[in-house]
Amino acid sequence: MEWNGYTGNILNVDLTRNKISIIKENLEDIKQFIGGIGINCKLAAELIKPGIDPLSEENVIIIGTGPMVGTITPGASRVVGISKFPASGAIANSCGSMSFGFHLKQAGFDHVIISGKAEKAVYLEILDDHVELCNATDIWGKDIVETTDRLWKKHDGSCGVIAIGQAGENLVKGALTLIDKTSTFGRGGLGAIMGSKKLKAIVSKGTKGVSIADPKEFNKLYKKLIERIRNYPHRKSWIDLGMLRSLPIGMLLSMKGQKKKARQCSDRVYLKKLKKRRIACPSCPMADKDILEIKEGKYDGLIHYTSSVINPFMMMTLDSLNTYDETINAFDLINRYGLDSLTITTLFQFLNDMNDKGILSKSDMGFEWKCDYNTLIKLIEMIAFRKGFGDILAEGWKKLADMNETMATEMLVVKGLDVVFEPRLLRLGTMEFEQVVNPKGAHVASGGSPTYVSSGGSMERFKTHFRRMGIPELAFNKIFTPPRKEMGINVGRLTRYSEDWYTVLTSTGICARAQMNRFWSLESITAFYNAITGFDLIQEDLRKAAERVWNLLKIMNMKEGFSRKDDKFPKEWFKPLKFGDNELNFQDFYGSTTITTEIANQLLDDYYDERGWDKINGQPTLEKIKELKLEKYL
Amino acid sequence: MSPNIIINEEKCVGCRICQLWCSYIHKKVFIPSEAYIQVKNVYDLNPKISFLDGCTNCGQCVEYCLYGALTLKEVED
Repeated sequence: MEWNGYTGNILNVDLTRNKISIIKENLEDIKQFIGGIGINCKLAAELIKPGIDPLSEENVIIIGTGPMVGTITPGASRVVGISKFPASGAIANSCGSMSFGFHLKQAGFDHVIISGKAEKAVYLEILDDHVELCNATDIWGKDIVETTDRLWKKHDGSCGVIAIGQAGENLVKGALTLIDKTSTFGRGGLGAIMGSKKLKAIVSKGTKGVSIADPKEFNKLYKKLIERIRNYPHRKSWIDLGMLRSLPIGMLLSMKGQKKKARQCSDRVYLKKLKKRRIACPSCPMADKDILEIKEGKYDGLIHYTSSVINPFMMMTLDSLNTYDETINAFDLINRYGLDSLTITTLFQFLNDMNDKGILSKSDMGFEWKCDYNTLIKLIEMIAFRKGFGDILAEGWKKLADMNETMATEMLVVKGLDVVFEPRLLRLGTMEFEQVVNPKGAHVASGGSPTYVSSGGSMERFKTHFRRMGIPELAFNKIFTPPRKEMGINVGRLTRYSEDWYTVLTSTGICARAQMNRFWSLESITAFYNAITGFDLIQEDLRKAAERVWNLLKIMNMKEGFSRKDDKFPKEWFKPLKFGDNELNFQDFYGSTTITTEIANQLLDDYYDERGWDKINGQPTLEKIKELKLEKYL
Repeated sequence: MSPNIIINEEKCVGCRICQLWCSYIHKKVFIPSEAYIQVKNVYDLNPKISFLDGCTNCGQCVEYCLYGALTLKEVED
């Protein structure tokens, strides 16, 4: 058949046998699972056997894009990876951007399946029909930046690169990858999985093009949307500041009483002292990726790529970091090795607290702990290269929890992944709640909408977003019925729809970041989807497909032994957080109610109920599985 | 060459919208490798924008560049 939007091809790479083949896609599967995260889940359910070791030859990596990627559709450049992740032991997706997905589509593939384990270090090169496993001996041991630069140079600076650093090679369980040395991809251990397979990098470059079914309709839709984006009053400030506009870290530090430090990560420092060049993912009209350059002092001349300056700036919440240049340098090292800056930040703070309390000491760690920059750098090196105590830390939070009961109780971790957004600081929105229920562990992206768009907003504003996201009107009443009336919204129930909306975006290939996703609605996605593919789906088809995908993800993890017992709110959330001179409590989205364990459990009940799942075990019921035609995956 | 278009590479963000749109308008497919405008070293510190033979000066790339990297020369009477 003739494909539009889709290429109709899945690349199948067996590293053990050095065998490469192409699988033709099936129209019925496409209509059931759409693409991107959806087809990823379908393939994973068929290929990943329950109970396997994530770092064994049996594990499979599937990387996919959606039908809109490779076209000019605004913000459609997402790439999604699924595998069994070593940090949590869960089968989970991770999402990234930059140019890998764009090139993969241009090369003629929607998805890549990577199985087995190479005998020697290799990298996978996908150049249209020329697909090859190349010798990576000379780049094995190099960091991500050097690896990517070499591969870019080989391909005239125009290819997508997913690469691992030394942390991935050394099987650090939280190691991730970077796409085009900018976009983090695979929090929770995708880097270690690639390392276990001796796969240093994946390169994509294509020249085949992506066709669409209905150019006339597409033109009409594109011109209307792009003009709306072009004329958006806040577009200039988004592009000037990027994500710093949405999360001013300096404000948080000021709240902590650290005004001098707050100035180190101000808009002014970013614009005057750091910003080198703004870069964008293919087709993005809201460019927000950063090339930074330190222009003075000890690290003068350091060039750093990041998906946002807020990533290094968030590390400044650590008392060991006082200046922007030391922070960027530490963050650069983390990225080069392929570690996770979020985990390193949380881990450093945790180790500091444990040392202060006398739970950890020199005899455990092998060195005298100090809350300073040099200790942070030492820790990063120790983990990436598994030196001394770093070998234990490289095994992840579960290993630390096994060492000591107090540590197990006090760590802010869900299913082996550390919490990203602290609700005692940011209150309990869908993003914070998602960290508890996401099958992967404390993952935030799939819980983003709409509370980060509608922060502190009115009920009417929420309704506008609900309609945009395609939440059925019939669900509104229950979403506005929280466990306590004054809470305003029921975050448990709303999170179900946040996940479904994220699934629609990442199945089609659209960016979920607030500044892009705000321009999209289920209605406009359906219209673009039909114009691109030539199909005739209705909004309900996409909504149902998203629900099907999320349930399949849950079924896979049910088979891995996950249930309600794992959807646990960290105990520390129920105690006040000391933040400077303030004591912050775990509060609802509007700050009207302190969340108790009773309310938290009610919100979990409500989340499962809204999903149509069993409240006791937190899993899909047989009735729901049948409704979604997923019986064969049980 | 495209004598009517002024290039400001410092403003280019590497979004490739110009290439995508050019190929779509002229080839009916999103195939940036065949666009008459090419952006090289997209994520380098110094991207390079050039026009290939066959460019008709239609100005569509300028119209859809959202970052000011391409502008039309003012034509004197």
